[in-house]
Amino acid sequence: MKRILVLVSLLVVLSLALTACGAPKAANHLEAVKQAGVIKVGTSADYPPFESVDESGNKVGFDIELMAEIAKRLGVELEWVDMPFDSLIAAVQENKIDASISAFNYSEERDLTIDFSDAYYTSEDAFAVAEGFAGAIVNPEDVVAYKIGVQTGTTQDTWLTDLVTAGTLSEDNLFRYDRADQAMLDLKNGRVEVVMADKVPAEALLKQIGGLKIVYTGVLSTGPMNIVLPEGDVELQQAINEIIKQLQDEGFIDALAVKYFAE
Amino acid sequence: MDNTFFSYIIQGTAITVAVTLIALPFGLIIGLLMALLHTYGGKALNRFAAAYSLLMRGVPPIVLLFILYFVLSGEINLSSFWAGSLSLGIVSSAYQMEILRGALLSVGGGQMTAARAVGMSRIQAIRYIVLPQALRLAIPPWSNEASIVLKDSSLVYALGVPEILRRAQQLSANTQQPFLAFGTAALIYFVLVFATNRALDYLSERTKLPTHP
Repeated sequence: MKRILVLVSLLVVLSLALTACGAPKAANHLEAVKQAGVIKVGTSADYPPFESVDESGNKVGFDIELMAEIAKRLGVELEWVDMPFDSLIAAVQENKIDASISAFNYSEERDLTIDFSDAYYTSEDAFAVAEGFAGAIVNPEDVVAYKIGVQTGTTQDTWLTDLVTAGTLSEDNLFRYDRADQAMLDLKNGRVEVVMADKVPAEALLKQIGGLKIVYTGVLSTGPMNIVLPEGDVELQQAINEIIKQLQDEGFIDALAVKYFAE
Repeated sequence: MDNTFFSYIIQGTAITVAVTLIALPFGLIIGLLMALLHTYGGKALNRFAAAYSLLMRGVPPIVLLFILYFVLSGEINLSSFWAGSLSLGIVSSAYQMEILRGALLSVGGGQMTAARAVGMSRIQAIRYIVLPQALRLAIPPWSNEASIVLKDSSLVYALGVPEILRRAQQLSANTQQPFLAFGTAALIYFVLVFATNRALDYLSERTKLPTHP
């Protein structure tokens, strides 16, 4: 019995010790990143053409190539951390990753707990339907008459959830998916009638899936895309903003947009 | 759709197996300790072990996973792989504790009395008489728990550990062939669980005592 007691108290002491010696926080995150020589960036690699994996498992896409260039200009190596979209903001808050690029749109709610870089690209929303869709969507609010699919945690999800809160859209008509492609597949299978998504990835998905079309585009929930940074991390924010400005001036970002979105 | 597609998912198998191989023994150590405390530990320790079991079995693994990774992360710097593996182990420890407790109790009380009568201490009796019988009895229900942990290991994808399920998701998103991607994942899980169960059945058969039919 004594031995068991010793074991238990050892476990307790060990866990207390682990709790006490948390990693010391560097005064300046940018300096810490430069000292380490590597920036850990989170992304959810299931959202082509912004971020996805190719058949040999390499990360590819607009955001991926852009971030690689930003890391190069910061003078550090880039380490990708792939996680579901839902987990990314929490991971930045808890300093599990240094930053996150995953087609994030600015929103006031998100800005409360994390910071954003300047916009690197501006996107629109789109409503996608099946080819044989019989209804009509002239104004964006017309969608409340249909079963709508959306990716969880996106700005489109927030926009639709606001309609639910306002009482115009029935909760029963809103279907949330882990990923945009699942929503589009269900649209094709007829389980939902409309899918609301970012225009650019929606167009890419439509090309892959076939049998679907976009009936409305406009800036509703989205807008500029930004890199997510830890709250109050002014130095890293400034450094990244300067690089984004350079890349815009040099035409690097426009060239990327042509490459991935064929605009 | 070439071989790289499948090899990408199959590479995730190593991670799934690694997560399971950390979670199961970690859960076994805590579970065994708690089962002993619950069965032989006196009032306070007994209550402590019972509360531990109640709490851990009452929380979904994914919630505990998020708590360990996101809430405690400021204090303990765990990688997503270790946070995922250890929290799965903690959840499993409560179930393994109940399995082991049942096995300990099913070794009749007369065994303990007899061991004490021949001059063994309580600890000696547990170590040399009760445990060897109880651990053998625990193998069949434990193999059930082993396959549950193997399947639950897919939860670590939520922390960004690129195991089988996460890789299948990425390929499904990239190729628009969800059936092929998730079908491959399902097949790998099935083979792993099947092999685990057969191996443990064999172990159970080999270690069976003549006195236990």
